[in-house]
Amino acid sequence: MKKIKTLTNITAIAIVVVLLVSYFSIQGCAASKDIAMKSGAQLWAENCQRCHNTPSPSSYSPEQWETIGLHMQSRALITAAEREKIVSFLKNSQ
Amino acid sequence: MKTQLPAKYFQLLFLVLMVAINLSAQDNAADSVLNERLSAIEKDIHYNKPGQEHFLITGLATVGFSAQKINNTVDGFTTREKTNSLGDVDHFEFSPMLLWRHGQKLLMEFEPSFSDNGLGVNWADISYFAAPGLILRAGYLVLPFGTYSKRLAAGWIDKLATDPMGIADMTPTDYGIEMEGGLPLGKMKMNYDIALSNGSQLMNDGTISSGDITDNNTNKTLTARLGWLPFSNSTLELGISGMFGKLGDAGTPFANASGKMYAADLNYVNTFQPVLVNIKSQFNFQDITGEPYPDPRDPSQTYSFKNHTSSSFIQCALRPTGAGKLIRNFELAGRYTHFDTPANSLFGSRQSSVAAGLNYWLSWRSVVKLTYEAYKGKSTASKFLDAYTGLTKTSALYLQFAIQL
Repeated sequence: MKKIKTLTNITAIAIVVVLLVSYFSIQGCAASKDIAMKSGAQLWAENCQRCHNTPSPSSYSPEQWETIGLHMQSRALITAAEREKIVSFLKNSQ
Repeated sequence: MKTQLPAKYFQLLFLVLMVAINLSAQDNAADSVLNERLSAIEKDIHYNKPGQEHFLITGLATVGFSAQKINNTVDGFTTREKTNSLGDVDHFEFSPMLLWRHGQKLLMEFEPSFSDNGLGVNWADISYFAAPGLILRAGYLVLPFGTYSKRLAAGWIDKLATDPMGIADMTPTDYGIEMEGGLPLGKMKMNYDIALSNGSQLMNDGTISSGDITDNNTNKTLTARLGWLPFSNSTLELGISGMFGKLGDAGTPFANASGKMYAADLNYVNTFQPVLVNIKSQFNFQDITGEPYPDPRDPSQTYSFKNHTSSSFIQCALRPTGAGKLIRNFELAGRYTHFDTPANSLFGSRQSSVAAGLNYWLSWRSVVKLTYEAYKGKSTASKFLDAYTGLTKTSALYLQFAIQL
């Protein structure tokens, strides 16, 4: 009985978390003005090195950076706005 | 006798030279314009490929050499062994990664891997970028438990030649579905990653195995991680993870066996001129319900133990990025790891290791690593089941080259 109750609690928490996360991820949360003003170069310097060295823009073609950008958004869970700015910076710095 | 050439010959020669220079200059200008046009067209073609199919092969390779000295003491008797091998048997890896982007919303990722375990697959999944903060994924996934396996395990990212014991082993890859995303929160950021998968399977010795496409029971395993970046410059990320699910095969004495796992992770990267400080840490904790396991000497009998496993590591790397060209490519790294497996089981042990390394970065994505690791493992396995293996001490030296392509 206790096990069933624990499982029910976990399921309820999971459902609430999923619903909240879905709501915020679809509605979007706001970045502060300072954060929203950051350039692609600054975001590239800040975010890439959280896991690895900052990549050279010449490492991939502009078209390939689009693909790498999506891959990195899903690995490092950077925001979509950060990905767009970083990819734009890398494409324009070839 | 000298012949005097008439002045008109010089005038004609001068005219011819002027015309030639002019024509040459026009040619150069035309070449330059043509080259610029060609370059622009090439760029255009490269960027605007027809259709929506965009295929990219990238990946990584890790090769090296390892030399080990192993001392094992059981009941006062010590055996010594020395080994060395090319190919760095524990960490050799050749993993091309195939990324196939369809437009801006769909991404297929596939990473086959050839390692000391043979040919395998690290992950194979398809992602749909549904909204700015929502990615939906299905396939063969690295579950979101901590960050080491998903983000830091690649040879060209890892600061040391070896993986921290137990950390990656406790992060299953499984068939399932996943939702994740990164979200701005004012000056902070958060990210979430939630997966539902077939779940792991409890084996007869109390270990767990994962990655079966056919679920061993009707229950699905929930894995979730929540990350928080409290500073506006993203230097610090803190994360907590949990994994909950049934482990036992349906219709067996293990049918009700279940597991709970928790993890906490920390990632701090910041520059204190002229040094880049990089700190990583993760703590894993796994608890499986007490079950009667068949005695390997007499399967009609059973034995039990507290099936509790924990592992953790803390790692610090320093790189003088503000120094001169040669010095800034060096990096110092150190790591402490602990890994405890269940006492009185067939595989119980208390293990720890200290690793120190000097790396030289040849480029942003290729590195030569020299790592020394001292390991100590004290068996806590059941003496009653003849599984006790005494005290093992190992000293190992690794020379490794890792690259991302």
